[in-house]
Amino acid sequence: MNILTPRPNPIVAALYTLRDLDVDVAVLHGPSGCGFRAARLLEEDGMKVVTTSMSEEDLIFGASDKLIEVLNEVDELFSPKTIGVVGSCVSMIIGENVKKAIIDSGLKNKAFFVEIHGCMGANTRGAIETLKAAMEFGLIDEKEFKRQEKMLLLATEVESNSGMAKSKYTRPSRGTELKTVADHIVNLLKDNKKIAVILNAKKETAYLFADIPLAINLASKKLGGSVINVGNLSTDVGLLRIKRYAEDIKNNFESNEISIDYISGGMDEYPIAGKNAIEYLKDKDFDLLVAVGIPQALPVIEKESIAVTNGPREVHPLEDVGYKYVTVEIASHSTVMGARDIVLSELGEAIRNAAGIQ
Amino acid sequence: MKQIAIYGKGGIGKSSISSNLSVNLASEGLEVLLIGCDPKSDSTINLFGGKRIDTVLDLYKKNITDPEKLIFEGYNGVKCVEVGGPAAGVGCAGRGILVALKILSKDYYLEKGFDIIIYDVPGDVVCGGFAGPAREGYADEIYIVTSGEYLSVYAANNIAKGLFNLNVKMGGIIGNMRGIPNEEEKIKLYAEEIDSQLINVVERNSKIYESEIEGKTVLEKYPNDPLNSKFKDIGAKIIENKKSKVPNPTTDDKIRSIIGGLY
Repeated sequence: MNILTPRPNPIVAALYTLRDLDVDVAVLHGPSGCGFRAARLLEEDGMKVVTTSMSEEDLIFGASDKLIEVLNEVDELFSPKTIGVVGSCVSMIIGENVKKAIIDSGLKNKAFFVEIHGCMGANTRGAIETLKAAMEFGLIDEKEFKRQEKMLLLATEVESNSGMAKSKYTRPSRGTELKTVADHIVNLLKDNKKIAVILNAKKETAYLFADIPLAINLASKKLGGSVINVGNLSTDVGLLRIKRYAEDIKNNFESNEISIDYISGGMDEYPIAGKNAIEYLKDKDFDLLVAVGIPQALPVIEKESIAVTNGPREVHPLEDVGYKYVTVEIASHSTVMGARDIVLSELGEAIRNAAGIQ
Repeated sequence: MKQIAIYGKGGIGKSSISSNLSVNLASEGLEVLLIGCDPKSDSTINLFGGKRIDTVLDLYKKNITDPEKLIFEGYNGVKCVEVGGPAAGVGCAGRGILVALKILSKDYYLEKGFDIIIYDVPGDVVCGGFAGPAREGYADEIYIVTSGEYLSVYAANNIAKGLFNLNVKMGGIIGNMRGIPNEEEKIKLYAEEIDSQLINVVERNSKIYESEIEGKTVLEKYPNDPLNSKFKDIGAKIIENKKSKVPNPTTDDKIRSIIGGLY
């Protein structure tokens, strides 16, 4: 099926994965506008992103000399330990010899090449190619590569089975108003009901999504009811940076005296952690399920459920499978970059307001 | 003004035919513009005593795009342009052709009052860029150069497929003979097979190569050679050609039976 909906880009996924690997500088061999939005966000998260600013002339004559020059400039400017060079549509179509340029720059001990462009399919392909290149360069071992590759392939499946790659065209939507959702949650707590919250978040977005279980727990402490907390907050799985995110969130929960009842997996295991979470809740008694992060990776259960996503195009597919309310945290990526603690979410704020917590 | 493009298998003699055709048309009093589209920039070399002219893309790199500065006057007053392009093995020559065609402002050439513009295009239509001169607004009709050899006709047929896909008219086939049996007849039969026509054939002739070694066309080195009449005849037929149409490419088997049937 030819899917018309614009979807995430493998080049951008490669850039994000370089950030996950704690690479110091990403050099995008392509036009200056390629990955523009992602580049700015990633710089807020500490990784430098530069481009070789390819022009029409470079497209005709090739731009290997320019790449060598940029690599040397980057080395001088930022004194990086590692540099990831990422392909683009144009540099890959004209067959730029990036590996040779890296050798010729004299930086082959610092820099490695991620051979990717925009026409290589799902965004997860960009992440897989980056991890593979990082493995060959010696940043991760084969076992870790295989584990992450498996997760990424599962994530691709999630999108085509239950997400925005499910149908030909998916309309974006903001879903149900935040206040409606917040009032519903708070009213249940006032009635002394039990809410199960599953945090099934992808990497850094957890800094935002974790604010929702946090707000629900704070509301419950004030108003009554009870909460079962489930989250993919394992500190034993994944890259150092990703484990650190889990650590930060756990520390916050601890300082708020919130206990996590079940750890469903690691922060890059969202394609399977959702299933683990539902499995755990199977024989538990609760009145409402609130699934936040990547709810499309959760099996659907026959119980009143609310989904919170950060993708306006995930709303309709989630509504279709029977969620009572679906709502969107629209600003997730711009607020979490560079964060080291939970950041305020819109729904979290609405819950606090409804519960009278300041 | 007539605009034509010459296509054909690599090494089949497109540039030899284009340059000899150009100088002979000019000697008949026509204003001729020869545009070489090969990144090797060797289409016009025999009009300049073996010297290379500055290419459009080299000048573009230096921010020079004034059409006056892109045109050079070669032997017999033929105006010449070389598109140029990247060194072998890097960049994208196809994109280069598209960009150069844009720089070569068509309005300017219309104003100049050329009688004929000849685009000499490299090899097969390997990508979109190489089809550039065949697209709407550039060449009105395409001529394919081929010998009677199987691979050359096969390449010609592949170009005909490209023209069919692009809905571009073909003026006919110009034979550049290699000296195989019944060669002219083979080429003629193939031309008819694809609903086109054979314009004329050029016999294998060492005078062409002798001239090229000195960076000359036959007209310059051997002004009185009958070969020049042949090129004048081809030129006249092209100028008067009213029978150009979109070709109807054939199958590989049909080509084999046409060529094999004549041994």
